[in-house]
Amino acid sequence: MKINTWFGGIEVGSSGEILASDPFPKDVRELALRSLSLRGSRENLPPECFDLKAAALECGFVASLSEYYSLLHEVTLEAAKLQVSEALTPDQRIVQAVEALDDINETTNSLSERLFEWYGGYFPESGLNGEALALFIVKYGSRENVPPDDPLYLKARDSMGAKLEAADEALLKGFAESVCGLYSRRKQIEAYIESSMEALAPNLTMIAGPMLGARLISIAGSLEKLASFPSSTIQVIGASKALFKHLRARAPSPKHGVIYSHPLINTSPWWVRGKVARALAAKLSLAARIDFYSAEKNPSLAGELEEKVRKIRAANPKPPQKRQEGGAKPKKKRRK
Amino acid sequence: MPDIRLLSEGIFEITKDKKQLATLNLDPGKVVYGEKLISIEGTEYRTWDPRRSKLGAMVLKKFNVPLRKDSKVLYLGAASGTTVSHVSDIVSEGAVYAVEFAPRSMRDFIGLASRRKNIFPILADAGKPDSYAHIVEPVDLIFQDVAQPNQAEIAARNAARFLNKGGYLLLSIKARSIDTAASPKEIFKEEVKKLEQAFEPRFEILAARDLMPYHEDHLGVLAKLRSEPLQGVNLYKE
Repeated sequence: MKINTWFGGIEVGSSGEILASDPFPKDVRELALRSLSLRGSRENLPPECFDLKAAALECGFVASLSEYYSLLHEVTLEAAKLQVSEALTPDQRIVQAVEALDDINETTNSLSERLFEWYGGYFPESGLNGEALALFIVKYGSRENVPPDDPLYLKARDSMGAKLEAADEALLKGFAESVCGLYSRRKQIEAYIESSMEALAPNLTMIAGPMLGARLISIAGSLEKLASFPSSTIQVIGASKALFKHLRARAPSPKHGVIYSHPLINTSPWWVRGKVARALAAKLSLAARIDFYSAEKNPSLAGELEEKVRKIRAANPKPPQKRQEGGAKPKKKRRK
Repeated sequence: MPDIRLLSEGIFEITKDKKQLATLNLDPGKVVYGEKLISIEGTEYRTWDPRRSKLGAMVLKKFNVPLRKDSKVLYLGAASGTTVSHVSDIVSEGAVYAVEFAPRSMRDFIGLASRRKNIFPILADAGKPDSYAHIVEPVDLIFQDVAQPNQAEIAARNAARFLNKGGYLLLSIKARSIDTAASPKEIFKEEVKKLEQAFEPRFEILAARDLMPYHEDHLGVLAKLRSEPLQGVNLYKE
């Protein structure tokens, strides 16, 4: 019987004695690579409870047990390192980018609010907020610096705000610069996600748009996982709280998770949103699978979805009537 | 002077202000996950937090932990190595084959594994023992903490391939990873039954206790291979 081990192939007789051996070269990297290539092999597996180290000693691969263990230690470590470095695939980069984007959004919002409150004491009439306010502060600092040709000149001149001292002005300008930096980082990350989604998952991007598609991959963990999800799971990705409440207690099932942000759903009237979400999720899971397994763009997908949604809307033009009390109307179960 | 008591081979209870679980530090001077180092008469111990380690909790729940200094261990679900580091301390002259599926956890684990010669890191799916059959030798103990719905099956598959006759299985079952809605008690009953009957090889359960107050909705199980086949019961064909 032939057996594959991490240190080479061996030929074992019926009573476990070694008949022949073909050890690999004793080089850590070489052994690690060969060990990795043996992972998927179903042939020549060692029999149950086969003593590998005794075999390695017997066929002369190592001279002692301590040599066996120290070499195996090096080899497993090297193999694990190789696998870890291969793990950062393009979809993992997108996952990181989506998470960074969420962090930046959260930070930018709270810093923007702070800037609004803070600068509001000096120029409450500006009517600016968010990025526009940050840019304004970076540009002028105190409202006294607003030139006559600026549309805010009159408001700035007549403002009830306090006078901005030089030290406070420097502080606010610096703070506003940081906020502006975050806004431009956000645009940079969004541009990155858009371009890499188009390359990684063209079909998913076509159906979902780059941001929603990236978010789905991020929550699923990878494109492979997203491709393996049933469409009913994709439909409620991001609504896990509502889903588990539904499974545990008698709460209604969620109709949609993060796919709610898709224009087909959030522009639909409320009574067809569940149906549209189901149709959309079905196409999303198809798209993810095409992207993962073949990566060829299939333009007919978008048209099919639009057609389906159009039919759903046409078939349900009016909101459903509320059932009357006592009216023993049988519950319709519609499955389509 | 701290008071020190041996609980099991390589596992100590040190009383210094309060009672603490500890192991001998195999890698002196180094802290793995923020635990305390205590030196007593030139010997360095690492405290072991039962709230961060299922195995630590099992020791405090009076499980008879079958580890000796030369034990060979197959550790399924190594994560970033918090518990593996203590197992590595205990089996100072043995071997820990540490299987972990997530590259992210393995990234943290590799630093630890490279400093301890008795750890053999394996990035693989514990549900597919064939994929590391060419590396792992027969072991005396399988410790499993994988939080997968098919935990019992994973344990059986690995035991069939790697567990010595007379070897033990230590298992931590997380109710929430099997079914989020069912009651933990029912799940534990089911899982223990599965270990006893559903797969080959079958296990004989030596102890099963929940890990409260250290871990919520977790059951610790100590089992060994059943030596003779069940009489008169044939639930599944061989």
